[in-house]
Amino acid sequence: MSRPFPYTFISCPCADTPVPDPARKRRSRESPQKQSPQKPAPRPSTSEGEKKGTTANEQRDEDDEDEQTFDPRSPRSDFSLYPPEQLLYCEECHQIKCSRCITEEIVSWYCPSCLFETPSSMVRGDGNRCGRNCFNCPVCTAPLAVSTIENATGNGTQQGPWVLSCAYCLWTTLDIGIKFDKPTNIRSQLQKMTDATPPAAFDRSRQASRTLDSLKHPLSSSASVEEHGNARERERDIEHPAPKEDPTAPPMGADAQFAALKNFYRAQIAETSNSPNDHLSSDFGFSSPGALNRLMSLYTSSSRLGGLYGGNKKAKSKPPVMREALTASEGLQIAPKNGEADIIARLASPDCGWEGVASLDQRKAQAPNARFVGDLLPLPVLLRTKRAKRCKSCKHILVKPETKPQSTRFRIRLIALSYIPLPTLCPLAFSSSSALPSMAPTPDLDSLSPLRPIHVLLTLKNHMFDPVRITLATPPVTPGRVATKVTVLSPQFEIGANSDVWDEALQGASATSSGDSKSAGLGQRGVPEAGKVWDKGRNWTTVVLEVVPGTLPGSSAEGGDGNPETTDEDVVAVAASRKDEDVLEIPVFVHMDWDADAQLDQQNLGKASKADDKVTRELAYWMVLGVGRIQASL
Amino acid sequence: MATLKPPTNTHRSSSSGPPKAPLKADSTATIADNVVFQGPYPVTIGAGTVIHPRAKFYTYEGPIVVGDGCIICEKAVIGAPPPSSSRSSSPQPSRDAESSPKESTTRISYFVTIGPSSIIEPGVHIHSSATIEALAIIRRGADIGSHAKVGSTCEITGRVGEWFVVWGSGPGMRRKRARGPKPMSPAVLDAARIAQTAIPAPAPAGKVIEDARLMVLQKEREVLGRMLVPVKKK
Repeated sequence: MSRPFPYTFISCPCADTPVPDPARKRRSRESPQKQSPQKPAPRPSTSEGEKKGTTANEQRDEDDEDEQTFDPRSPRSDFSLYPPEQLLYCEECHQIKCSRCITEEIVSWYCPSCLFETPSSMVRGDGNRCGRNCFNCPVCTAPLAVSTIENATGNGTQQGPWVLSCAYCLWTTLDIGIKFDKPTNIRSQLQKMTDATPPAAFDRSRQASRTLDSLKHPLSSSASVEEHGNARERERDIEHPAPKEDPTAPPMGADAQFAALKNFYRAQIAETSNSPNDHLSSDFGFSSPGALNRLMSLYTSSSRLGGLYGGNKKAKSKPPVMREALTASEGLQIAPKNGEADIIARLASPDCGWEGVASLDQRKAQAPNARFVGDLLPLPVLLRTKRAKRCKSCKHILVKPETKPQSTRFRIRLIALSYIPLPTLCPLAFSSSSALPSMAPTPDLDSLSPLRPIHVLLTLKNHMFDPVRITLATPPVTPGRVATKVTVLSPQFEIGANSDVWDEALQGASATSSGDSKSAGLGQRGVPEAGKVWDKGRNWTTVVLEVVPGTLPGSSAEGGDGNPETTDEDVVAVAASRKDEDVLEIPVFVHMDWDADAQLDQQNLGKASKADDKVTRELAYWMVLGVGRIQASL
Repeated sequence: MATLKPPTNTHRSSSSGPPKAPLKADSTATIADNVVFQGPYPVTIGAGTVIHPRAKFYTYEGPIVVGDGCIICEKAVIGAPPPSSSRSSSPQPSRDAESSPKESTTRISYFVTIGPSSIIEPGVHIHSSATIEALAIIRRGADIGSHAKVGSTCEITGRVGEWFVVWGSGPGMRRKRARGPKPMSPAVLDAARIAQTAIPAPAPAGKVIEDARLMVLQKEREVLGRMLVPVKKK
């Protein structure tokens, strides 16, 4: 993976339900919260866990699924492995939550430039962009500054025309011949300048859907004109009484054209849908069932096949056929006669050149007909959002930021690291005088020698205020083609509570020395022993993992050594060595339990809980330790 | 404003070090103490020019001429340092023999701003009122037109036209700045035509922005000079 060695990932159990079930089953049985009547809805994971458990009991002999070790190499695990700091934790479900098992909802929109919050009602109208004074340079995307021309050249009168100017590429609105009269509300000033809606267009489209007229559309040739004519010509009524469509009318602006087209097609869909009362079709367009019906009936009724579907089709009128926009007021825009030639001539002219043509990146956010740098308009800054995150299964809020854009605080933020211990990994360095002289003093994690045992220190740091009991489990041999033997030397241990630092300091000098003993302890402790914790601090515990890296398939080490685990049946498939197969990743199953304070709702029915309002909680998950890369040869 | 402080008194490379370039600076130029002038060819600095600390002038391949009113920021390198091998072993004559046939003058005209840590190689001609931003590299023989701007981390070989802006990084993108009055944006014209409103009054020429920028630069230089004088007197 992309992180430098050593790294640790934690697997969110949402991706694969067959996380080993004993833990789940026990948790569901023991945790009194599960029996709480206030939450009758069973969590899906729990019920599934129960189910799995029973199946496992029935089929003891083939309980592969349940006891399946997590394979960091399986393609699915890419989607469930997260760095520990990216995970959240749901206090209701008592489960780790990754970005796939949460839903997001937008708390507020704000402009990253002026940090003003935009009300959600205005976001759409403003096109998701800042409606105030914030603009980005259309050429280089740097923020634009509002500056006055007069002030700089004359004396500081703060009067006179204002421009937007880019400090980086020196673009100003003078490049497109625009100046502003006021330094405020630039967006609306610009909008007014570029608003290409014909004066009456808005009213026209409004009335179009209301009034009925009997004027027929000249091109409507459908047989259903008689039946649906009235509806069909709703939108035609104004055009013809009004001054005849001016063929020389200037092209609409892109916004106005889009609005006209949208109105037109919405009216068309409403009229041609089979059920005129179906308002869905007008709102949702083709995605609604009504629209689909209409589309289907296009085929069935216009051909003879229509007869196959029963005689009543004949009685039914032919469905109306949607037509396309035909006039400029409907949004039709006819390409200018020699538009292409004009553009080419302009491209070739010496004052345009390569520099004068807008790049694709520049055109992306501009009007569709912007081809040249001179056509580019300043871009209002895109808004950003603050989002709250909810658990998908119980809708509990996991993250809730402050609404104010200026504040970076969070009202609620249940990050997983406050609940699960933070794993960190480091290789154990031995001096040459140590008991294992074959080991390099500091193993190079990017090139681990195969079959040479190394020790890595796994430190788990508890952030909860309760001490935690941890059980680690690893498969004896890592899954995949490179079989690395892994042994956790002390798989069961405790981590102290994340108590006050001052408490520990007041306990005396011994405590402080033990806090720093991690580095100093190397000399004293010497050899890692099985069953013994390597080191321990206030809220952390370090254990040793003994790792014997396997040999890569097809490497030189393989034939000579003849390691039975590594030279198994897939030696045959040596040739196609898969990518990153030499990366040594160890799946570790972590099971933790701790006595938590019972919550208020349990105190009422707290018979099931222990004395002094303590509940035993459990959590189990897989994590993956990225130790290093195995060398090809010894 | 006689703030000339030629680095004659900072002879850290007096005897065995590299040769100190003969410096011909105007009396109104402001030159920081630890500016490095090295090489056999002279350096000429015009009136009102400000040279910030730790700028380096290497004249091994030809003289350097800096015009009036320039600002050369800290750690800017003008000219090319001598090849490291010849610097250590054989100091002067061999290098002179090498470089004298193709002597190339580096010219920096009036009111040029050269950003921090930028590199101007020998033989470059930077015309007046150009701006070279931080970390830009102007390769040998490049020609930067007047009122041009080279954005930071851009690398220029060849010619940059007048009133051009090179932005981005590496060879960068180029665009021509508005100098005269520009035609109004077609979006505005179309809008005015369709909405039957009056076309807004034409905007002034783009030149006013550049004038304003130069005026601000001038003021900045004056203020800087004023700030530096009392320090020097002490």
